[in-house]
Amino acid sequence: MATGLSIGLFVLLLFLLSLGIWVAPALIAIGYVLLEFFTPAPVGSLLASTMWDASWNWALTALPLFIWMGEILFRTRLSSDMFKGLSPMLSRLPGGLLHVNVVGCGIMAAVAGSSAVTCATIGRMSIPELTKRKYDETLSIGSLAGSGTLGLLIPPSIMLIVYGVLAQQSISRLFIAGVLPGIMIILIFMSYISIRSIINPSLAPKEKKRYTLYEKIIAGKHLFPVIGLIFCVLGSIYGGYATPTEAATIGVCGALLLAWATKTLNWSSFKASLMGAVKTSCMINFIIVGAAFLSVAMGYTGIPKQLGQIVNQYELSQISLLIILTFLYIFLGCFLEGTSMMVLTASVVLPMVQTAGIDLIWFGIYTVIVVEMAQITPPVGFNLFVLQGMTGRDILKITKAAMPFFFLMMLGIVILVIFPEIVTAPVQYMIQR
Amino acid sequence: MRKILNKIYLLSGYLSAIFLALIALTIIAQILGRFVNITIDSTETAGFSLAALTFFGLAYTFRGGEHIRVTLLTRLLEKNIKKYQELFALIFCILFTAYLAYWSWDFVYFSFIFDDISPGLLAIPFWIPRLSMSLGVTIFLIALIDDFIFVLNNEEASYVKNASPIFKDENKG
Repeated sequence: MATGLSIGLFVLLLFLLSLGIWVAPALIAIGYVLLEFFTPAPVGSLLASTMWDASWNWALTALPLFIWMGEILFRTRLSSDMFKGLSPMLSRLPGGLLHVNVVGCGIMAAVAGSSAVTCATIGRMSIPELTKRKYDETLSIGSLAGSGTLGLLIPPSIMLIVYGVLAQQSISRLFIAGVLPGIMIILIFMSYISIRSIINPSLAPKEKKRYTLYEKIIAGKHLFPVIGLIFCVLGSIYGGYATPTEAATIGVCGALLLAWATKTLNWSSFKASLMGAVKTSCMINFIIVGAAFLSVAMGYTGIPKQLGQIVNQYELSQISLLIILTFLYIFLGCFLEGTSMMVLTASVVLPMVQTAGIDLIWFGIYTVIVVEMAQITPPVGFNLFVLQGMTGRDILKITKAAMPFFFLMMLGIVILVIFPEIVTAPVQYMIQR
Repeated sequence: MRKILNKIYLLSGYLSAIFLALIALTIIAQILGRFVNITIDSTETAGFSLAALTFFGLAYTFRGGEHIRVTLLTRLLEKNIKKYQELFALIFCILFTAYLAYWSWDFVYFSFIFDDISPGLLAIPFWIPRLSMSLGVTIFLIALIDDFIFVLNNEEASYVKNASPIFKDENKG
């Protein structure tokens, strides 16, 4: 009964979504159908009270603040500073300035938390520069598309906050768990670019200018403000001095200070950053609040428990469950955006994962990487749209450029399955201390 | 009429922004309070501000074309069929939003009658912060009906017109 009902609801949901109905109202509608026709519960008052309860969740307060911080930094001269600071250091590696895309996105991801902002901030500066120096276009677009998604994984990440709220896991722990996998994916991307450039040197022209160590350090000063900000925000969480929300507030203050110091802070940029943050956070919160109602409705029907039993019944191993879920997410990623995808599936997937005995922190990191992959799958891939807007190339070419990075992330997931300690060990260390 | 409506949407957007800034301010107060040993608990103030941010922002975000939906199939539709699809999506959302608005007013009314008090240090009557939900949802409902009438008159919906350029194709098709 549970299987049939949940498949039926899933089909109904996809049907509603395909008709162009907004995600949050569609979630509420499904919850309504469940409660009205399958339980004796009072739907209306339950709707109002669960939506209210979900809307003032303390853990969620970090989300708009981190979004705001990214919006402020997006309007500073951060992208050109990043390029100036990083290019002397990375230009000698095989693949040269292509690595600026990867490392730049990695650093930007640590302050912005959203993949579209990450991708746009770095790309704004690096695409013109790379084109001017005749780097291979496919590889430069691809590396940007791939690394742009790091914004989802490297803390402070919006996606991890959303996951933490859905799965009722500590956001601080998720942030700790996200660091090593993030660095691992950066290294995978960099190795790929290096290997490609060694095999085919025409992809990345050799940098003529040699930088002395002194010049590299001088150039490095462009990076200090950002690195300092990352240090304050993440350090305060990792050191146990601040909750994610407090760290986010420190981040907002730091970002405002940085904008003020670089003379990019004025009333109109302040207002624009605030209104931009309002729209993004309102959009995400509305979906989360709608999903909260749906998952309460699911709870009333007992579906989650029965879905958990399916895992036992068919003796699904952890690996086979993960393979099924990976394909499900990649399929959904073809037409859904990351946050909605995670929120939609949470109430069904999480009980199954829990029954299978998979660590929920580990699963959070896994889900975010799969969602990252979904960001660069057509036809709906937000990073693809961002790059399309910036380069003016058609979406097919951009997709083709991004494909290798899709598979590199798949490789990353395989490594995480084989060595789950990459995720769990830092968290364990943190708890024991 | 047009002017008044636009003002309402903009005002609720600004209100939403003020609540975002308020979250940051109460947290700053909490951090500073810790240094001078004054207990300031921002759980409620920040939480209520978050709720207000979300609900007051609904209409503004909607008209900015930022609420997510799937346009993969609908953008393939012919123009005159597309109008009916758009009207259907809007009327669907209008029905559920009206339902939600009704019950959130009911919710506020009963928390007022029963004198529901928030559980934290603040202990304020719950109907005050909950008012943001019923008001915000109601403004959202007005915005939905507004766009319904627009589309009915063969005009471009606000969420298509105002969408940011990067995602414009996504919403418009």
